[in-house]
Amino acid sequence: MIIQTVSAFFVVFMFTVLLELPRRYVLYTAASGAMGWWMYLMVQNAWNSSMMAAFVSTLVVAFLSHILARLKKAPVTVFFVSGTLPAVPGAAIYRSVYYFIHNDPDRCSYYLAETLQVAGAIAMAIFIMDSLFRLFLVYQHRKTPTG
Amino acid sequence: MEEKLLLETVVLAGKIMLASGSEVYRVEDTMRYMLKQSDYPMAEPVVFATGLFVSLDDPERDSITIARRIPARSTNVNRICLVNDISRRFCSGKLTAEEAYAELKNVESSMQYSNFMKALGIVGVSASFAPIFGGNVLDFFTTAIVGVILALSDSLMKRLRLNDFCMTAFCAFMVAFSAMVIQKFIFPACNADVMIISPIMTLVPGVAFTTAVRDTLNGDYGAGSARMLEAIVVALAVAAGVGFGLVLFEFLWGGAA
Repeated sequence: MIIQTVSAFFVVFMFTVLLELPRRYVLYTAASGAMGWWMYLMVQNAWNSSMMAAFVSTLVVAFLSHILARLKKAPVTVFFVSGTLPAVPGAAIYRSVYYFIHNDPDRCSYYLAETLQVAGAIAMAIFIMDSLFRLFLVYQHRKTPTG
Repeated sequence: MEEKLLLETVVLAGKIMLASGSEVYRVEDTMRYMLKQSDYPMAEPVVFATGLFVSLDDPERDSITIARRIPARSTNVNRICLVNDISRRFCSGKLTAEEAYAELKNVESSMQYSNFMKALGIVGVSASFAPIFGGNVLDFFTTAIVGVILALSDSLMKRLRLNDFCMTAFCAFMVAFSAMVIQKFIFPACNADVMIISPIMTLVPGVAFTTAVRDTLNGDYGAGSARMLEAIVVALAVAAGVGFGLVLFEFLWGGAA
């Protein structure tokens, strides 16, 4: 589990090179990505569901990204786009193609459904966090009308 | 002519942000803030996924409108940050329009990492994913080899300038085929699944998907559905490429080992 979390850190770290992330934010992004993957493993061990795992881990990454963006005064996207990478259902896409070719429609549709579920879970998590932070902003504006 | 320069600056800022893969609402917000520096009563930016318009209007003067098309997009977070920074300084009066325009021109072609570094990044991401998908030390190294092949085919495809579908499908094909070949002929002990899935993670459209969801949430349905379609096309290309690679391998050398 520690090895996996460390690899997630390096995955996100390397991925920031492809996205041209500003150098001064790379470590924060990689740390939040690793946190997200750690949550993914915890949830998957507890509930044995990759959909729930992707949901919770994206929630964590989104939460950390919003906090970091406020602290560092940078766009949220900066911390967001590479942090969610490990949760993306690449393996499920591959397995569904693999079973499609090996003439196993049951497993093919199982993994296809998993792909869609995980994608939906990630979308839901992003929706929820964005909306929560928007509510928080509205509340803050009400408290201090000048800010 | 003051307004003309301001408008050019605003359009350039928007163009860079959009071409770097920013969300549409952020582009519009940035442009709207910058346009507040003009003395026209009505200033309106309109941004789509593939182009943008800005119009300045006044009952007593001629209105000015500029349209720009954004032909190619790729993710470049650094540029988004730099433009964000310039627009903040411009709006607080620390930069004149001339200075802002000059700085934006620099940003437009700025690159933090060379192509070689990016290729190393692809190899690094691929290899780092191997332990996550249950690979051992040997898988880590063989995945890195597949990552090198992926990086090479990626740079070849960028030179050919084909469309997204062909680029991604070819890369996915090379990954699947070379992974199977390496497993069959060079290291029979390694895990072909890990060697295929890990490099594929760099091709899977995670960034397009995330941005699509955020655009849709902000009510930019046009940009949201455009990016969602991009994500679906790329995902299908990955599936088609991998599928073709596996089929060709099995056609040449019989069933999977």
